Amino acid sequence: MSSKRRIDWAIYAAFIFLIMLVPLLMDSFWINRLAKYLVFGMLGIAVALSWGYAGILNLGQGLFFGAGAYMLAMSLKLASQTSLQQGSDKPVPDFMLWNAEPGAPTELCCINKASFLWLPFQSQWFGVAMGLLLPIVIATVLGAVVFRKRISGVFVSIITLALVLLVRLVMIDAQPVTNGFNGLTDLGWFKIGEFEFDPYITATYYLIAISLGVVLVAARLLVETRAGVILQAVRDDQNRARYLGFDVPAYQTFFFSVSALIAGFAGMLYVIVSEFASPTFMDLSFSITMVVWAAVGGRASILGACIGAIAINMISATVSETEGFAEAWKAIIGLIFVLVVLYLPRGVAGLAHDLVDRVARKAPGAAPMLRVNDPSSQLAE
Amino acid sequence: MAQAALTIDGLGVDFEGFKAVNGVSLIVEDGELRVLLGANGAGKTTLMDLISGKTKSTEGRVFLHDTDITNWEEHRIARAGIGRKFQIPSVFKELTVRRNLEVASCRNPGVFANLGFGFPAKAKIDEVLELIGLTDEASRVAAYLSHGQTQWLELGLLITQDPKIILLDEPTAGMTQAETHKTSLIVNNLKGRHTIIVVEHDMAFVREIAERITVLHLGQVLAEGSVSDIETNPKVREAYLGSKGIS
Repeated sequence: MSSKRRIDWAIYAAFIFLIMLVPLLMDSFWINRLAKYLVFGMLGIAVALSWGYAGILNLGQGLFFGAGAYMLAMSLKLASQTSLQQGSDKPVPDFMLWNAEPGAPTELCCINKASFLWLPFQSQWFGVAMGLLLPIVIATVLGAVVFRKRISGVFVSIITLALVLLVRLVMIDAQPVTNGFNGLTDLGWFKIGEFEFDPYITATYYLIAISLGVVLVAARLLVETRAGVILQAVRDDQNRARYLGFDVPAYQTFFFSVSALIAGFAGMLYVIVSEFASPTFMDLSFSITMVVWAAVGGRASILGACIGAIAINMISATVSETEGFAEAWKAIIGLIFVLVVLYLPRGVAGLAHDLVDRVARKAPGAAPMLRVNDPSSQLAE
Repeated sequence: MAQAALTIDGLGVDFEGFKAVNGVSLIVEDGELRVLLGANGAGKTTLMDLISGKTKSTEGRVFLHDTDITNWEEHRIARAGIGRKFQIPSVFKELTVRRNLEVASCRNPGVFANLGFGFPAKAKIDEVLELIGLTDEASRVAAYLSHGQTQWLELGLLITQDPKIILLDEPTAGMTQAETHKTSLIVNNLKGRHTIIVVEHDMAFVREIAERITVLHLGQVLAEGSVSDIETNPKVREAYLGSKGIS
C-alpha cells in the first residue's frame, strides 16, 4: 500500500518535472499552445474532483470556467490600450461606445445603465479576487440548495447543464456590458508589479505550469485528508454516511465549491494566455468535452484526468493539422473516446494502476506454495 | 432498576390515510437486547425508520435517554447515539475494508475539522476487524466481499461508530446457517455494551440472541415478553397463523 503510494507520488513528481522542462524544447508558438492545454489539464482536475471523488457529474463546469475568465477579462479589458483611447481620461471599453446612445457621457459610471458594474474592475486584483470568489459563491449557493434537497445523480447533471445554458444566454443578451456573443477581446496583459505576462513568453508558461503543479498537488492532498476519504464514502453510499452521523450535503457542497474554484482559476489563466473571454466557454459542448477528457484520462485519478485533458488536446491539434486527417480528426477523437469507455472504464489511469499493482505483486504466493507439496522437490532435499 | 435508553411514546405515522405505525409505545432499557417480531407489513422497518429519522413521524415522540430526538435530521440522530444497519447491506463499496471502518471511526462530523490527515483509531479498528472476522480482508475493496462478509462489515461500521443504541434490520437476511450463527456470536458479543434493537424473522437466530421480544401487528404492539412467553401467547399465534390455527 505505502509502496504503491510512493510510486503514485513519484509519477506526480515526474509529471511536474516534465512540464517544467518543456519550454527548453519548444518555440514560443508551441509554448503558448501547450500553456492552454495545461489550463485544460487543470479543468480535468476540477472534473475528476467533482465527478470521480464526489460522484457529482457536473455538466456545467463551463459556468465556473467562464465566471473566472470573464472576471479577469473585464480587468484586462480596462487595462488595454484601446480602452484608454476612447476620448476619456479614464478607461472605457471600446464596444460600449459603439453601442452608446447619442449624447451619453464617455464615462464608465454612466455610459449605459449597467456599465457602473465595471468600475471596480479598474483594479486588476479586484478582477482576480472576483474570478476566484464568484465561482465559489455560485457553487456554494447552488450546492446548498441542490444537495440539501437531496437531489442526486442525473438530476444534478441536468440542473447544472440547464444553468450553464441559461447564464450563457444572459451573457449574450447583456450586450451593452458583456459585448454579447463577441465576448471580450483585445485585452491588456496580466501584470504582477511591473512585469507583463506576454502570452508568448516562457514566463507566462511557467506561471501556468507552476499553478497547475500547485493545484495538482493540493487536490491530491485534499482527497487524502479525512474529509476526502469521507467524501468518497458519501459517493459510494450517501445513506450509510448519513447514518454514521456525517452531514452529507456539507461535504458535497464543500468539494463542489473547491472544484468550481479550480475551474474558475483555470478560466483566469486561460484569459491570460489566450487574450479573450467569450460565451463559447459556456457552450454545452465545451462542458461535455471536459467530461470526456476526464473519462479518457480516468475520472478516479486526479493526475489521470489532468493528463487526459492535455493528451487529447495535443492529439487533436496534431491530427487536425496532419494532411489527410484534417477532415476526419473529430471522428478519430470520438473513436478514442468510445474505445476507452468500452474497454477502459476507469480510463488510462485505471490501466496504469493495474500495471503498478501487477509490478508490486511480483512475488506471487501460489507458485512457491506448490513447490513445498511437490514430491520431486522433497526428493531433492 | 435500569435506566430507559430509548423511550417511544405513542409513535405513529400516517402515509396519506394508511397508518404503517399506529401509536406504538415502548421502553427499551440501557444494555437490553430487544427483538422486534412481526409479519410482513407489521411496521417493524417503519418503526426503525421513525426512530432513526428516515421517516418523519406524524404523532408521538422518541426520547434517547432524556433527549427528545423526534423528527431530527438523520445525521443528528446518529451523532446523538443511534446507529443503524440496513436490511440491504450498505457499505462503502469502492473503499477498502479498513478505510470503511476508519470512516466510521471519525468522531468529528464537520468538513473543516477533517481537513487533516490520518485516522487515529488504529487499535480500535484492529479490534473490530478481529471481532467481525475480516482481519485478513482488511486491505481488500469492499465490493469484492461476499454477501455475509458485507453484512459483517456493516456491523463492524456500527461497532466502530460506537453508538449507545444499535438498530439492526434483519442482520441475517440471505445468510447461510453457518453465517447466521457467526452473526449471532457477534451480536451476543455486543450485548451489555450497547442497547440493541433487532428486527428479525429467523426464529433460530432469535432464540440464540433474544432476551425480550416485542411483537408488532398491523402497526401496533401486540405482545411483549420473553421467548417462551411469546411462543405460547395465544394472541401472537392467532396473528401469525390465523384464528383457526393450523389444522
